[in-house]
Amino acid sequence: MDLLGTILWPLKWAVELLLVAFHSLFSVLGMDTDAGLTWVLSIVGLVIVVRAALIPIFVRQIKSQRKMLEVAPQLKKIQDKYKGKKDQFSREAMSRETMDLYKRTGTNPLSSCLPLLLQMPIFFALFSVLNDAQRSQAGVGPLNDDLAKSFGSATLFGDAPLHDSFASQWTKMIAGQDFNAVVMWIAAIMVVLMTASQFITQLQIVSKNMSPETKASPMFKQQRIMLYLLPLVFAFSGVAFPLGVMFYWLTSNIWTMIQQFLVIRNMPTPGSEAAKAREERLARKGKLIATDGDVIVVEEPKKSQRQQPIAKNRAKKQTGPKK
Amino acid sequence: MNRFLTTLILLPRNAGVLVLRAYRALISPLYGDVCRYYPSCSAYALGAVQEYGLIVGSARAGLRLGRCHPWAEGGIDDVPPKRNRRYTVTSFGFVIATSHGKG
Repeated sequence: MDLLGTILWPLKWAVELLLVAFHSLFSVLGMDTDAGLTWVLSIVGLVIVVRAALIPIFVRQIKSQRKMLEVAPQLKKIQDKYKGKKDQFSREAMSRETMDLYKRTGTNPLSSCLPLLLQMPIFFALFSVLNDAQRSQAGVGPLNDDLAKSFGSATLFGDAPLHDSFASQWTKMIAGQDFNAVVMWIAAIMVVLMTASQFITQLQIVSKNMSPETKASPMFKQQRIMLYLLPLVFAFSGVAFPLGVMFYWLTSNIWTMIQQFLVIRNMPTPGSEAAKAREERLARKGKLIATDGDVIVVEEPKKSQRQQPIAKNRAKKQTGPKK
Repeated sequence: MNRFLTTLILLPRNAGVLVLRAYRALISPLYGDVCRYYPSCSAYALGAVQEYGLIVGSARAGLRLGRCHPWAEGGIDDVPPKRNRRYTVTSFGFVIATSHGKG
């Protein structure tokens, strides 16, 4: 076994286990064992498990973003200090000071690249499982011969194999051989859907969930560039990757979109437009207590007993100075 | 030292610099700003390779990647500078022999 294979082995095993577990679940529920849809749903199940496992990291990130409100004045001070200074040296000094502030106050809003790095091997593992299955080769663990054959020959809409890609069909088309148009259509539609979900996710953040301070920062500009760069990446990978792998990515993207929507709706960044919208929504329902509801409750504990009304002059007597 | 020999010795780390520059130009922007440290992990890797060469620099970069996770405190974490610098870094990032004459 080569080096990469050795590193990926445990992950491949885990990916296979999850795939096979979901596959047998859906089969027991009465779905066709060899159908493409059953295998696609198994991939969706895999995504759900992986993304659910990443939720704690996401929650942590949100929490430190909330804490950033406390250091906003200090952050503003740093930004004002370097306002209008566009040279590399000042910008580096600014990032340095900002990072130092995050550390001192424990408000680092960045998640590190670990969540991304963790997903990449899973992605590769799925890729290689599909690649093996394409040749109806058994996997390293739970995916045995029969299941690998079933996965390898599973098709969507009658004749779009999950292990096939746009590029392989394109090569056949150029060579003038028989090619599978359904595979190309599905791949193209998925690229469009992925781009759309990415756009919606980013637009949600940019248009609703950013405080004015963030919008003024250089980080914002970079995010804008990403917004237009990612569709190109999707188009490229949508051409090269097998449909099964694309289903993993698409589902993951849709998860991100929904997660982002829920977070923006229920725990928006203070000071952003989404936060104002939430306050209005709550005020309409008569539920608006304060921006930090639970704090208020602590300060004013509910009285169990109703206070007796007191007549004006009696009240004066009670509180007035003793004679 | 023989100029040719120095260039030869510096070849691996300059190859590393080229790869890291390409990574930072093409792949880093896709992630956006995610690193909990300053400089970011890839900038740290670049600095470490320039300072310590391909093998030691890569090892240092690997340790840094290990330090960078969602539970890390983050903050400023520079490449520790070598006591005596023998080489010069160009604006692109290539490491070259310090030109003679200045001592």
